[in-house]
Amino acid sequence: MAAKRSNRPARAPTRLTLRAYQVGFGDCFLLTWQYSRTQRHVLIDFGSNGQPTTAPKNLLNAIADDIRKQCGGKLDAIVLTHRHKDHITGFTTQKDGSGPGDVIRALGPDVVVQPWTEDPNAKTDATEATTDGIDGKSFVSMLSAMHTVSAGVVAEAGRLAATETAPWRRQMFQGLTFLGEEGILNRSAVENLMAMGKAGTATYVRHGQKSGLEKVLPGVGITVLGPPTLKQSSAIKKERTADATEFWMLRAAAGERMAAGGEPPFPAAATLSSRRPPPYARWFVPRVRSIRAEGLLSIVRIMDDAMNNTSVILLFEVGDSMFLFPGDAQIENWQYTLDQPELMRKLANVTFYKVGHHGSRNATPKTLWFGFTHRGPANKPGRLRTVVSTMADKYGSLAEGTEVPRRTLVTELQKNSDFFTTQSLGGNKLSQDFEFEL
Amino acid sequence: MWRSLGRRRDEATIRILLKARLMPRSTRSSASPSVSRSRSRTPSRRTESRTRPLTIVAQDPSIVRDGRILTATVDVPAEALAAGPWGHRVQIIDYDASTDTLYKPLNATAHGTGGQFLDPYANAADRTILRDPNFHAQNAYAIVMRTLARFEFALGRRVSWGFGSHQVKVAPHAFADANAFYSERDEALVFGYFPGHDGALVFSCLSHDVVAHETTHALLDGLRTRFTDPSSPDQAAFHEGYADVVALLSVFSLTGIVEYLIDYSGKRRDTKRDRRVIARKYVDHEQLRESIVFGLAEQMGSELSGVRGQPLRRSLALSRSPRHYRDDPDFLEPHRRGEILVAAVLNAFISIWSHRLETLGDVVPGHLDRRRVVEEGAAAADRLLTMVIRALDYTPPVRIEFGDFLSAALTADAELQLDDSKYHLREHLRESFELFGITAASRGTATEPGTWRAAKALKLSFSRTHFESLTRDPDEVFWFIWENRRALEVFDGAYGRVLSVRPCLRIAPDGFALRETVAEFYQVIKVSAAELPRYGLRAPNGMPRSTVVSLYGGNALVFDEYGQLKYNIHNNISDSVRQQRRLDYLWRYGFFNAEQVTTNRFAELHLRRAMGATLERATGEEW
Repeated sequence: MAAKRSNRPARAPTRLTLRAYQVGFGDCFLLTWQYSRTQRHVLIDFGSNGQPTTAPKNLLNAIADDIRKQCGGKLDAIVLTHRHKDHITGFTTQKDGSGPGDVIRALGPDVVVQPWTEDPNAKTDATEATTDGIDGKSFVSMLSAMHTVSAGVVAEAGRLAATETAPWRRQMFQGLTFLGEEGILNRSAVENLMAMGKAGTATYVRHGQKSGLEKVLPGVGITVLGPPTLKQSSAIKKERTADATEFWMLRAAAGERMAAGGEPPFPAAATLSSRRPPPYARWFVPRVRSIRAEGLLSIVRIMDDAMNNTSVILLFEVGDSMFLFPGDAQIENWQYTLDQPELMRKLANVTFYKVGHHGSRNATPKTLWFGFTHRGPANKPGRLRTVVSTMADKYGSLAEGTEVPRRTLVTELQKNSDFFTTQSLGGNKLSQDFEFEL
Repeated sequence: MWRSLGRRRDEATIRILLKARLMPRSTRSSASPSVSRSRSRTPSRRTESRTRPLTIVAQDPSIVRDGRILTATVDVPAEALAAGPWGHRVQIIDYDASTDTLYKPLNATAHGTGGQFLDPYANAADRTILRDPNFHAQNAYAIVMRTLARFEFALGRRVSWGFGSHQVKVAPHAFADANAFYSERDEALVFGYFPGHDGALVFSCLSHDVVAHETTHALLDGLRTRFTDPSSPDQAAFHEGYADVVALLSVFSLTGIVEYLIDYSGKRRDTKRDRRVIARKYVDHEQLRESIVFGLAEQMGSELSGVRGQPLRRSLALSRSPRHYRDDPDFLEPHRRGEILVAAVLNAFISIWSHRLETLGDVVPGHLDRRRVVEEGAAAADRLLTMVIRALDYTPPVRIEFGDFLSAALTADAELQLDDSKYHLREHLRESFELFGITAASRGTATEPGTWRAAKALKLSFSRTHFESLTRDPDEVFWFIWENRRALEVFDGAYGRVLSVRPCLRIAPDGFALRETVAEFYQVIKVSAAELPRYGLRAPNGMPRSTVVSLYGGNALVFDEYGQLKYNIHNNISDSVRQQRRLDYLWRYGFFNAEQVTTNRFAELHLRRAMGATLERATGEEW
């Protein structure tokens, strides 16, 4: 049952309990703000794209049940930083109402915050968008097309992996499947979030806007730092827009074709065995497969970057405490904030940092990190607390310096902050709580 | 056979051999004498030929004339083909990775055996053109071979690919994707296919300019291997811009394409339409430009913009103003910047063509012979194409900038063609480049402004080197450089290597031969960022002192037929202005990041261009 709300004037909360869930590769944080007479619960992301082998099969349902328990049957707000699988799958519903998203929906969130690119109206009316040099309308269309492209990549990579004989290339195709799945549209989760937003208040935010959380978190200062608009971050000509949009529309058509089975373009033409090609082709055929694998990898990486850079970046302030939640924002998203000295002075006082993008190499800008004044050795009073939700060996490669979490970053986090990684929970423990007196 | 031709060729003969003959798809076009030769219903046959005719799509399937795809018959060097087609320089292997399909090639006999050369697709129907993978294979083969032959003709020697082996592998349907590129590592040109707006598949291997563009990358990589190094914005743009220039001039040198443009011009404006003439007022500079824009650029399949961008349309849209160049951040992306080079050359092409037409007499008052107008257009493109290919031998081997290329083109042409009074190629090229803010790297002479300074004033020692070896032996050339390193302004203390020594024979329009030997020399030193001030450089903001930085330099040495040095064209390590510009650019655009090291630069570049993704990366922020 939903807790009854007091109509008393808002006062600042005195305590924050942050519950970091073990979702494997993904993010899920429940923030419980303790007011003098009540609690307010905000869920930031709920998704997974790879779980520990020892985790229960119905992990997401177990987490949803725990969220319900923790918030006493009433969520005040949900923040979806962006729509990648590892942030959104927990909102998936089932026809029989057994999905984790069904549980969350029943918690009746009053506010649902998403990046402006999720705004259904943005698809037709927007004139500005996020990070990468494309006008708003095209950008949203592009993101939409990317889902179809992802579906095509997953289908094609899956087929290629099945017929691949070279182990290293088979591994590459399997890795592509993981990356591609990140970007596939989770329609039920998207529709669920939209419905929850309609039932309460939906806000679609960008840098500098009010978050919409103010009414459920009285006394908490909230700053939306990202995503920036395109006008804020770039001034690329519209002609480039046409190229990019054109490309993604065509890629989406190719993706649909691949997802539908990947029929060869000349089904009636005479062919030779590709498994045992004639001697003159034996050197070249595997090379074309490698070329294709690399091409697909480039595409999914670009899509991944683009989607990550739509992440909402939120800064919560209560008194001297500051909590920074950047989703998966990468440097392109961060850049607009980094360029503003006033904001950077403010960010210097961050006391809690949710490590961006599961600890990847380019989601914790060094300028930001080295600007944190609470950063320091173990004996530093009021030392910065950092938490990363991640799972090693799912993403990137050590040889290329793209592994997630990035070793050099983790070393720095361990050295100069009170660092916690959800990996340390293994597959048996559902979550870890952190308490903050405010 | 082609080799034996090399000993006795003259320009007129070879021009005929390389000339593309249009295969018109309508009875209206049968006025062209070349048409009647190739309209037979049965596969055409030739014996004892040095060239062979093959049918290709003239530009791409979107260029339609009288309801049919416009095709051309081009002559390419004759050779005994194996199934593929598979010749001495090109091997087509039609493997599609996306669907794991290996298409069976036509039997070798289809293209002729025993000295017979057949064109199995003479008069092919549109349905065949679009749906027969073996036609696609032939189309790719013929365009790659034609482009290669064009380079060899212009440079007067064999031209190697940018990798070790003799044969480039070509996959006409490599994957289901809107991309096509040259892969040095894989010794390959790969072409994608994808559904177009109407759902029908678009095949990039059927696009003449796309195939010629990618082939040019492979050839340019062979001729100037260091041009793919991360360097200046101009160098990154040069590969793309130059490949577009060659591809577009190659297309414009087809009389059928020019005819198509002129037709378009006539249809739009000339209601009387006597097809033998065209009003003079419709073929001045502006009208010709408009014909190219609306007659071809807008017609070329827009779906292919994901593969090739839209260099023709976009470069012609650039206004002739120096404001576009160098300092405008919008023109830092390699393809965008390359459009400036394309714009300058295309503008020169139109100027040369319109200038030629001004000199023609009227066949009826105010009207020109239409066929002559077409021939002059194709000839202007052909001449300019020769000039820009020859320019490569006169470019510095490293860190090219557009001004270097202009000086190289002017010098190459002046060397071979003293009298420029017919086409005014050099004058138009120089003026056109200046209109787009590109000035020649060299001041030149009073009579030949913009050309490289001759090396005759240098005090050089030849006493320890041997003329004959100097024309072919890299060690001998290196010795010459070592002996003369101060005069040649070679940097002391750097690693140096002679990359190539290439003797060449070029035939001038007057029939005389120009013999030259062109050698490429490059140098590199690796220093830490902390050491940069020693070289007159400063580390870019944020660059750690321990960062290892490579500084490159190089010389193109052009020797005359007596073994004397004619030109020493160089970009030195000690050129601190250019080195600083390069360093700042590379740092700003993240070329020092591990992530930027990509296995296939062209693939990534094309992809990012098409996706509108910026190249600029925040540097120093990553872990």
